Amino acid sequence: MSALVDSLGSPFFQRALLESVLVGAVTGVVGVHVLLRRLPFFVVAMSHATFPGVVLASVAGVSLFVGGWAFGLLVALLVAALGANRALDETSAVGVVLAGSFALGVLVISARPDASRDLSAFLVGSVLTVTRADIVTTAVTGGVLLVVLGALHKELVLGAFDPGGAAAAGYRTGMLDALVLVVVTFALVTAVPAVGTLLAVALLTVPALTARLWAERVGPTMALAAATGAASGVVGLCLSSVLDIAAGGAIALTCTAALGASLLLRRR
Amino acid sequence: MARALVEVLLLGLVGGVVGVHVLLRRLAFLSEALQHTVFPGIAIAFVTGQSLLVGALVAAVATIVLLGLLARRPRVDPDAALAVLIAGAFALGVVLVSHRRGFQRDLTSLLFGRILAVDTRQLIETAIVTVVCVTVVAALHKELVLLAFDPGGAASLGYRTGWLDLALNLVVALVVVAAVRALGTVLVVAFLVTPAAAARLVCRGVTSMMAVAVVLALVCGWVGLSLSYEASVHHGVRLASGATVVLTLTAGFVLLGAAAAARSALARPRVAGRRSVRGTRTVNR
Repeated sequence: MSALVDSLGSPFFQRALLESVLVGAVTGVVGVHVLLRRLPFFVVAMSHATFPGVVLASVAGVSLFVGGWAFGLLVALLVAALGANRALDETSAVGVVLAGSFALGVLVISARPDASRDLSAFLVGSVLTVTRADIVTTAVTGGVLLVVLGALHKELVLGAFDPGGAAAAGYRTGMLDALVLVVVTFALVTAVPAVGTLLAVALLTVPALTARLWAERVGPTMALAAATGAASGVVGLCLSSVLDIAAGGAIALTCTAALGASLLLRRR
Repeated sequence: MARALVEVLLLGLVGGVVGVHVLLRRLAFLSEALQHTVFPGIAIAFVTGQSLLVGALVAAVATIVLLGLLARRPRVDPDAALAVLIAGAFALGVVLVSHRRGFQRDLTSLLFGRILAVDTRQLIETAIVTVVCVTVVAALHKELVLLAFDPGGAASLGYRTGWLDLALNLVVALVVVAAVRALGTVLVVAFLVTPAAAARLVCRGVTSMMAVAVVLALVCGWVGLSLSYEASVHHGVRLASGATVVLTLTAGFVLLGAAAAARSALARPRVAGRRSVRGTRTVNR
């Protein structure tokens, strides 16, 4: 326990705490839209697909956020284009694109000598090394995402539950669908410094699913998901400090444990 | 090098055959999930010094059982259940490996595999898995294809569809387990999805798709491995072999896609084409 008290005093740990609370809250809210629209496979694909973007950005020395985001958009377009081919279903299209793009990332990074260390940081994150700039980026991006989701809440929920009705009511459902994909990609890339590309999937699906077990309506589900995500960040970080395990993994395991407990408690 | 080549060819063979069923039944997400969920199994086996194959196998079977249990809850969408399993299992694996020293090197080799370090015992295990999987898929070919295209019809004919599903899921799990040590836990899905998807672009019958998928996987496996070897040894550019093989497969997919597009552009009249073709295709989406 004294290790925990020591680390609570260090500026690294305080920054990490702030970052993981921010990321947990934003991904919790976005995650509810992921569930409503059945996008979990898309999220998994994106988590792999943004990887080469992040790698290329690091090789080129530009911001990791920009690289991941740009590549993510490219991949979303590719998936949409391949999925429109009558011969392939969407699942297979996503599979082909994600495998190919992930391999590209691995290839680029394998050509660099100090590959292993960078690689693990991208994949599992290194929340203890986040900078003030990272936190500001997370806060700004998260704020914008929440404002967009809040402003279009009614339309997005209608589009998720009744796409035909939304189209008939004159909403541009194609634009709304694309908007959700962009928001999800943004949220994913924002989570990279804290938990890495692969574990961001946990934050984008698990808290929302946990909240779904307890709440009926969309609004309360979102609030609960945000709280679960933020709390998992805090508990996970403390666990990682006490038990000396990887922070990203500890955060993801904490939310999974919350889900497991909810599944047992809400047996109906 | 010779052993690595044999391993890639074996995986290409079994991946091409089983991959067609993965495509028909849309199991790409399941394969993707399995390759992540075997990770903690491998990590535990690695830490305790057990056989990695056994660790991966136990984790794969546990995944299929857990998925079955989770998906029975009315509020849990099957896709969400898969995502949860992926995230939880991967986090568990990372945490387990991170507790040891030399964490990053271990993690990298588990994630990306070491195909050049394949030993004879691993080759034999892969060969056994290949024979078992191809035999099962061949023996159940008629039933599995019927089930893929007409689940209701298969059930009313008296086939035990639940058992057939389980058998196919276990075959996919076996392939993932066999491929995981060579290719690592994140590139395996390429062998199960890409060759079959590429074959689907150029042919219609199930058997011909399997043939094309296998040939593509074999050729790309050989070319990719040689490329990475050539670049690393003679040109001083280190290219990860697993990733090179997967990218070669992706290039094969793009080539076949271009060929299919060119063929349909040349062979069909522009006006009436698109719509009328829809009715005649033999493989459903």
